[in-house]
Parts: sequence; structure tokens; C-alpha cells
Amino acid sequence: MSAVTAVATTHDEPHATGHAAGGISNPILGMILFICSEVMFFAGLFAAYFNVRATAPVWPPAASLTSVPVVTAEMAKRFDLHAEPWFALVLTILLVLSSFTCQLGVWAIRRGDRRGLVRAIGLTLVLGIAFLLGQAYDYSQLGFGLSDTQFGSTFFTLTGFHGAHVFAGAIMLSVVLYRAMSGQFSEKHHDAVEATSLYWHFVDVVWVCLFSILYIIPSK
Amino acid sequence: MHFKRRRTALAIGLMFVVLAAIYFTVSHDAGGTTTIAFLGIAGGVAAYALVVGTPDDV
Repeated sequence: MSAVTAVATTHDEPHATGHAAGGISNPILGMILFICSEVMFFAGLFAAYFNVRATAPVWPPAASLTSVPVVTAEMAKRFDLHAEPWFALVLTILLVLSSFTCQLGVWAIRRGDRRGLVRAIGLTLVLGIAFLLGQAYDYSQLGFGLSDTQFGSTFFTLTGFHGAHVFAGAIMLSVVLYRAMSGQFSEKHHDAVEATSLYWHFVDVVWVCLFSILYIIPSK
Repeated sequence: MHFKRRRTALAIGLMFVVLAAIYFTVSHDAGGTTTIAFLGIAGGVAAYALVVGTPDDV
């Protein structure tokens, strides 16, 4: 809530932002409403995960005892993400750090510091791309796929959609970086930076929730 | 005037979060609770942003 208020208070100049006093500029308001719809999108995915988890007798799925096992012992071992959360923890740290650097960029342009904005957004973009590459590497090392039981399906759906959102955020950051390098932002005109920052923070919060659910909440 | 509207927007969101807590207490259904709670959060933030985003002269 404070972020919304903070954004609103930075745009109280009617002629600078093209709206009456006290309002939020259209790009930022649009982004906030878009993020609200995204919250419901991820709520649906989380709810589906919780539902599948609740109806399963054992979670993550254990090795089958049938002659032709659905889940092999090796796969059941791979499903146990709690055993090795360290790589995902590194990815989490990268993404949380990128949120800080993104906010540093916002604060820099609010002061009129264009070089600071370019540095901060550039660093954010590098951290975001590092996260994506790390996730791709993690996928290659997991040892199970999308079609390997409900666990594989829900895991890849949740993390895959999140990865797609990070990718979209990286594209937005690239555009902001290009515009910042072209000198298109100033102390009063930087709605795109604020809107992109809000989106990046949202993507970060979703990942922290995902990490907590997939890697920290104990098995049942 | 906006202060009252902001409070109403937050109250609507909070109502759903409380509803989610009650639902979880009764049913222990994490999936349904997640949906109701996030509906409250998303609805509350959207309503708050719309109130804050409304120009003073409207």
C-alpha cells in the first residue's frame, strides 16, 4: 500500500504527468491493475498446487511398489527438493538482490541521477538474466520432466510461468535501459521506470512464495 | 473524502482475507483459502489504487 501511496505522491503535478492533482499517472495505474490480475493468475496456480498436494497420500510422490513402477526410486529421490535447496536459494538471493538494485534505479531517477539509473537498471537486468540462466541449468539437472506425475506437472507449471514472467520483465528492463541510455527519463518524467520497477518487485515476491512452497514447506 | 474511500477499499480487501482465515479454520482447504485470500489482496490493492488514482476534482 505504501508503494502505491509513494507513487501517487510523486505524481502530483498536473502538467508534468497529464492528469489532475492527486491522481496516479495512467501507465502506473495500469501496471498496478495489471499486477492485481497477475496476483489472481498466480493464486489459481498456487491453489491448484495446494489442491493436488492435499489430495495426494504422500507428497512428493514416493517410489511405487508395483512391478512396473509409476515413480521409480531414483525419481522419488529427485522429487525431494528439500534435500538440496541450495541452488534455488542462490537463485532466490539473485532475484531479491535485483529487486534492491531496481529500486536503487528508481530512487536515482527521482533525484535526477541518470547515470545512477543506467547503472542500477543494467545491474538489475544482468541479475535477472543470471536468474533465467540458472533456472534453465536447474531444469537440466532436475532429472524429472513435465509429464512425470502430478509433481512434475505442477512444479514445471509454477516455475515455468514464473520464468516466463521474469523473461517478460527482462524485456521491459531492456527497454527501460535503452531509453535511460538515450536520456529519455528525467526527475519528473519516469513513469516507465516506476511501472517496470513495480512489475519486477511483484515477480520477485512471487518467486519468494514459490521457493517457500516448493523448497521449504515440509513434505507430507 | 478520499480518506474514507481509501479505508473502504482496504476494508473490502481485509474482509476477504478474514473470510479466508475463517474458511481455512473450518475446512483446512489450502487451495480455496489461497484463492479467497489472494482475491482480497488483489481486490483491495486494485480498489485502493483506483481511489488513490482518482483525481481530486472528480
